[in-house]
Amino acid sequence: MDGMDDRTVENTREKQVAARDATYWAKAVSRLNVSNVPEGAINLNVTGKRLAGPIQGFGKMWQKTYQVSLPRERVSPMDLIATWKQRFPDFWPEGNSFYAPLTGIEPGEVALLNMTLPGKMKLSTGVMVLYADEESFTLMTPQGHMFAGWITFSATEVDGQTVAQAQVLMRASDPIFELGLTLGGHRQEDRFWNQTLTAVADHFGEFAEVDTQVVCVDKRRQWSRWSNVWHSSAIRSTGYMMGAPVRALRGLTRRSRMAG
Amino acid sequence: MREATMTTSEMSTVIRRRDRVAVIDLVGDVNARAEDSLDTAWAEATREGPDAVILNFEGAGYINSTGIALIVGLLARARARTIPILAYGLTPHYREIFEITRLADFLAINPDEDSAVRGAERSST
Repeated sequence: MDGMDDRTVENTREKQVAARDATYWAKAVSRLNVSNVPEGAINLNVTGKRLAGPIQGFGKMWQKTYQVSLPRERVSPMDLIATWKQRFPDFWPEGNSFYAPLTGIEPGEVALLNMTLPGKMKLSTGVMVLYADEESFTLMTPQGHMFAGWITFSATEVDGQTVAQAQVLMRASDPIFELGLTLGGHRQEDRFWNQTLTAVADHFGEFAEVDTQVVCVDKRRQWSRWSNVWHSSAIRSTGYMMGAPVRALRGLTRRSRMAG
Repeated sequence: MREATMTTSEMSTVIRRRDRVAVIDLVGDVNARAEDSLDTAWAEATREGPDAVILNFEGAGYINSTGIALIVGLLARARARTIPILAYGLTPHYREIFEITRLADFLAINPDEDSAVRGAERSST
């Protein structure tokens, strides 16, 4: 009878584990697809792209951790993550837009990013929600994004404090982005996530210093990945912006033909 | 009758040697709390300069995205020292996760330990 009970317990546990796995992780996708494009968003460099992790990138591999501590009595880790998921775009620094999926931050959903880089350069790309549970969520980049990697947002309780964290694990996707990172891109990225975490703390009524830790996980560049530049969202976004007058002219011509 | 509760378990590791190949048995959940254990295991497994390292996931429980990031970190360290890494014992679900995250591009996934060892021997010759 005990043996039967053990098997029952084991079967129940296996079912629970399988359900948890299926709930929190994205399903396998070979190419990304954006089903609903939010108003105002530019859907470029996302549809049809494969995901690219830190292993597929070109540059040195970095792990960057940004943390901010809030009093536990003000917000619990689970409530913080629930709010962060719900209001994710609101916490982004000005000039950059995160178009969250209509269904929210859920595993497998794709969000569009329209960013402003130094020199007022516009860049359009996206991310897929790779993982999401009650205490963390992870976004993964597609081919052509500035970085090949993922970023995990989490919250934990440490010594009576709720610690909100953004941890980036990435390589620059291609030689051009690697050069950009070296020439001030790292500083800009650090500023970006510092501003984001400051905004999260501010939302809960706290002004808190953001702690930044940067570790170079692999100093080697993966020269075999130089051809990632073919997918570069910077180059493709620039081409798209430069083509805007031509597209506008074509639209005008088409409309005047229809009117005539 | 005992209750089937969902608990998280701290990860522990066991290092074994099969000739020139080191095998790391991962037991428990692979998450942020597994970092120290994984670091120690990696240092111990590579101390004698093995031809390859095999990760055994048969005893692994839940793996979250931070756990996957830790494995990526191991891969980076292995590549820096040109030590091949192989894996076995992954459930179909985690095989799929390794495909999605594209870890599988660099980490040969095998059905069992013997085939992983044979793969390790082939990759080191």
